[in-house]
Amino acid sequence: MTSLSVKVDDVHVDYEIFSERRAGLRQRLVGGKGSGRRVIKAVNGVSFEAFRGDAIGLLGSNGSGKSTLLRAIAGLVEPTSGEILVSHEPKILGVGGALMLDATGLKNIKLGCLAMGMTKDELAEKVDEIVEFTGLGEAINRPFKTYSSGMRARLLFSISVSIQPEILLVDEALAVGDRNFKDKARVKIESLLANAGTLFLVSHSTGEIERLCNRGLWLENGKILADGPIADVIAEYGVDT
Amino acid sequence: MTVHDDPHPESDVEDQGLFSLNESVSSRAYVADIWKRRDFALSLPIEELQSQHLDTFLGNVWHLFDPVISAGIYFLVFGVFLGVGAEVDNFILWLVIGVFAYDLTASTISGGAKSIAGRQGLMRSFRFPRAIVPISNALGHLLSFGFQFLVIIACTFATGIGPSRRWLLLPVVVLLHSAFNLGGSFIAARLNDSFRDMQEIVPFFLRLMRYTTGVMFPVETFFGKNALIDFVVRANPLVQLINFYRWVLIGADLNIGLSALALIESFAILWFGFRFFRVAEYKYGKA
Repeated sequence: MTSLSVKVDDVHVDYEIFSERRAGLRQRLVGGKGSGRRVIKAVNGVSFEAFRGDAIGLLGSNGSGKSTLLRAIAGLVEPTSGEILVSHEPKILGVGGALMLDATGLKNIKLGCLAMGMTKDELAEKVDEIVEFTGLGEAINRPFKTYSSGMRARLLFSISVSIQPEILLVDEALAVGDRNFKDKARVKIESLLANAGTLFLVSHSTGEIERLCNRGLWLENGKILADGPIADVIAEYGVDT
Repeated sequence: MTVHDDPHPESDVEDQGLFSLNESVSSRAYVADIWKRRDFALSLPIEELQSQHLDTFLGNVWHLFDPVISAGIYFLVFGVFLGVGAEVDNFILWLVIGVFAYDLTASTISGGAKSIAGRQGLMRSFRFPRAIVPISNALGHLLSFGFQFLVIIACTFATGIGPSRRWLLLPVVVLLHSAFNLGGSFIAARLNDSFRDMQEIVPFFLRLMRYTTGVMFPVETFFGKNALIDFVVRANPLVQLINFYRWVLIGADLNIGLSALALIESFAILWFGFRFFRVAEYKYGKA
């Protein structure tokens, strides 16, 4: 018996772009021409089902809608239309995003864990392990704003992987940090994957996707071009690009 | 579009218990989720207070100086130049209490308006009930108010008034005041998220409130001449909320009817603000 973990039903995600600046009251009221409004269809009618045991690699060129789709599944972006159903709250591993710039790395770890819903006791139990995983050493007590982009990514990644999710979404998180950390990150993701029901992976490395995934989804212009066993989809993707 | 063989034929699919992350949960479940993350809601402002003002020489002492200096200026203008303090007992203390209490509302609501925009990073990285953002903002301002309160206490002792049994009612007053402030923050936060222009409008609104809530002169002094205006001004719950502090601390008069109205209004604003904020729950942090 296989169980459904994610059901995506005719999902559209539109972005409204204001070419001038963020919508002001005047623009909202006047609207129409000259307000610089454009609608971008990042995800344009995507439907599929994912099951426990699926490790799905998302393929497609830049701007094809992979990350937006992933963020929609994570509940961080609301679909303009269509429906996404999940069996458990998905956890997205991303490298973007800033936490509290003025606070130290350590405090950011604590806040991030609490934001994910850990209790103070759970946090106390895990915090050393997370600090250790970041490999930031003394820098952990420096303000987040002094970190390089690689260090920031490592910190965020380490927070994200501290909880074992049932549905795991990984957005380019494997490209984090230096080579040492990358290896560590890969091992960690593989172990999370071993216990996770379902994995979605966005990566620019086809090799990585092929190794970690058993199913492929190829997106282009917000639409699914191919869905099937990873080797077949990669073969098609490779032929076309 | 190429679709390969379905590895999972429809027949043995179990799709029990699927849910949507974009469907709003019941208020009870929502509040339970906030309660579950109470450590988060509290750590956020504590962290911010610690890292704020670190770059200024006097650091957190500014939290105390700011309203004290304002109160000093108001004393000069309203007490000395305009002489409105003559009809008020204990004018200096009366003024200090008003300024501190009003500042709590003003800073909570203007901070609440900006709170969603200021937490984009956290909201993009983690899923949690968004109401925590304005709540933790309100908690933060309440914490600094706690320190400021020491100044009020010191002034009370300095003027020889000292503690009375009424002081036991202080937590109730603070609770009511916080309900009002939080409700206002919820409203300001949602409005500001839809229209960034709100950020520019809120300060004017707060300034208008400052002059109509009896912070530096009794509302009766200027608004008492016209019965309708008088009622409109005094029906503002904030007028009575500020007066509660004065009633508790220095024995100012209390209007029972208007006080009861303020109590109802404060909780109504909290209730309305919470619902109003939640309507856009899934839009915060996604723009």
